[in-house]
Amino acid sequence: MSFRNRMLAPLLVLFAAAVGYPLIYSFYLSLTNYSIIHPKTTHLVGADQYVRAIHDPDYWSALRVTFIFVICSVLLELCVGMALALALQRQRWARNFTRSFLLSPMFVTPIAVGLMFRFLLNQQLGVIPTLLAKVGVTYDFFGVDRALFSLVVIDVWQWTPFMVLLLLAGLESLPRQPFEAARVDGASPFYTFRRITVPMMSSVLTVAVLIRSLDAMKVFEYVYAITRGGPGTQTQTAQYFIYQTGITFFKLGLASAMAYILLAMVMVVIVILFRSVERAKNA
Amino acid sequence: MGSTLRRRAMLAAGLSAVIGLTAACSSGTTTGTDSGSAAPSASGSVPTTVSGTVRVLMEGVPDTDVVKAMLPEFNKVYPNVNVQIESIVYDQIKDKIVASFQAPQPTYDLAIIDNPWMGDFARAGFLAPLDDRIAATPGYNYDDFAKPLRDIGTVDGKVYGVPFYNYGLGLIFRKDLYAKAGLQPPTTLDELAADAAKLNTAGTAGIAMQPQRGYKAFEEWGNYLFAAGGSIYGSDNKVHINTPEGKKALETYISMYKSSAPANSLNWAFDEALRSVSAGKSAQMVSYNWMLPTLNKSGGQSGALAGNFALSTMPGGKQVLGLWDWAIPANSKVSDADWAFVSWLTSPSGEKARVIAGGAPTRNSILTDPEVAAKGYGAEYYAAVAKILGNSAPLCSGSNCDEMITAVGTEINAAVAGQESVDDALKNAEDKANQIQAQ
Repeated sequence: MSFRNRMLAPLLVLFAAAVGYPLIYSFYLSLTNYSIIHPKTTHLVGADQYVRAIHDPDYWSALRVTFIFVICSVLLELCVGMALALALQRQRWARNFTRSFLLSPMFVTPIAVGLMFRFLLNQQLGVIPTLLAKVGVTYDFFGVDRALFSLVVIDVWQWTPFMVLLLLAGLESLPRQPFEAARVDGASPFYTFRRITVPMMSSVLTVAVLIRSLDAMKVFEYVYAITRGGPGTQTQTAQYFIYQTGITFFKLGLASAMAYILLAMVMVVIVILFRSVERAKNA
Repeated sequence: MGSTLRRRAMLAAGLSAVIGLTAACSSGTTTGTDSGSAAPSASGSVPTTVSGTVRVLMEGVPDTDVVKAMLPEFNKVYPNVNVQIESIVYDQIKDKIVASFQAPQPTYDLAIIDNPWMGDFARAGFLAPLDDRIAATPGYNYDDFAKPLRDIGTVDGKVYGVPFYNYGLGLIFRKDLYAKAGLQPPTTLDELAADAAKLNTAGTAGIAMQPQRGYKAFEEWGNYLFAAGGSIYGSDNKVHINTPEGKKALETYISMYKSSAPANSLNWAFDEALRSVSAGKSAQMVSYNWMLPTLNKSGGQSGALAGNFALSTMPGGKQVLGLWDWAIPANSKVSDADWAFVSWLTSPSGEKARVIAGGAPTRNSILTDPEVAAKGYGAEYYAAVAKILGNSAPLCSGSNCDEMITAVGTEINAAVAGQESVDDALKNAEDKANQIQAQ
């Protein structure tokens, strides 16, 4: 074995143990009828669990809810995060204080954020509905067709700082010359943003969107703490559904198959995204 | 499951009672009879010389704290049994004990089992039958446990769990508001709806409801179903809720949510309802019977409203029942020490000490014991609990209960949200429940 490979070996061993084994074992489980409470009757069932998952309308409903959640939350976080990053880039005083203050939501554990908003948005006991009522506004935050959007807003509150962090780093690493040239040529701020900032930030934007999308795809805590998937199944996300199937209902084989289908979908999206970025770079 | 908030305010007084009892008692005896107000004594079936470490996983609630406080007293009788209690949140208990049940070397030697899990765990072979141990324990008087509680711990004719504490539901209402409106506790579902409507004012909702998707929605609506004269299971042991009684119950439930519950409370569960009632923002709620002492505790979370709350059975007299059981894992290496502890704690005298300290009762004799009434929360409260425990049923029996309860609770919640019609929700709920339980 060459020296280079020997140096890689510890990392590969660690990777195989920490990531490879769980992945392989859960894939094996997805090919069985494994149920925690019936371990002695476990046997291979081929692709049956995948077929079962694909034919489960609740699974597709959960996937749809998850994708809506991811698209809405990441888009909002991107827009708000970019606006904040641009503002922070121009800030002249109290920069460190503002930045640390803005970043604070993402240091709170998501389950605590969920519980916090559960009561903050409570119509009878929460401070936000009380303040809204004082100006004559009544809004059912967790009502039909609204609960999912409320969860999106909570996610935006917590994770926009992360977007700000990435985008601000990207903005501050951009060369100054193109912006100075644009200013000399009399370009408007919007034109400069559209024609210079965004193209030059494309790699950072892709990575930021990708990281946040993958993270948002894992949404579980807000659902668990606030809505439990309701009203009906309107906020039942894929992670919550898979958790219930595997851990609450003991069906680990089926839950593993559901997780692998989700993983395959995510991998396809990632590959397409990276290829499009590569093409844009080469064009 | 329903014990996420348990009488924290009562705990100090309860523990004081235990400590007082402990101090008053002589050192452990080895007699097999447990009676009177003496300290719980040794279980006749297990010699006091038995030794071992009993690791038990419990929910971090005041009932657990009551048990912890009784351990020194237990060790006076069984000095060589070291009971180690690990307290965690409810949602982690099942994962951990199931893992322990299947391990060659168990992580836990004794378990508490929530009633929806009992059928699955017993049939999976995770739990040891207790019939022989119960029969061999003099003075244990197993039949003294309320029958609905005994039924939960009995699977396919064998006893796998002995009752720890109940979480049966009842109607908790504001006496002052009822008196002001000239109302008596409702005896029919229609009366409950009419009372809630009458009590509904600008500042106070008629009733705090808990239609959150899943367990909570089904648990609350189950009481309405019983009040409408329905039942969850038919004589064929299949779920039959798509019935005229089921329809009446769900229509009333939805109508009351729309007309008398706090606005926008579709995702409310136990915590929200409790806070609403204790803050004087709702006149009543369907909740766990042991919430009454909490609400009436002077200086507790109800503030000036303390003492204004009363407990009643649901209209019609029948309500939903919940229970935590003690069970010995089949892979436990210290089953004698397990039973020594369980039989000591759940014996008539152990139960008496536990209930006086603030634990939720399970034995009929305790509910009529004048000493318990005097040192506990009063005869009126225990009389109401006796009625509740005497006529109640769990949401589910048989297999796959968690999944079945979630499925039905999802349909109930969808109907309340207006996403489904009452007929569709009941049909879907019944079909899914039977399909799940047949797996």
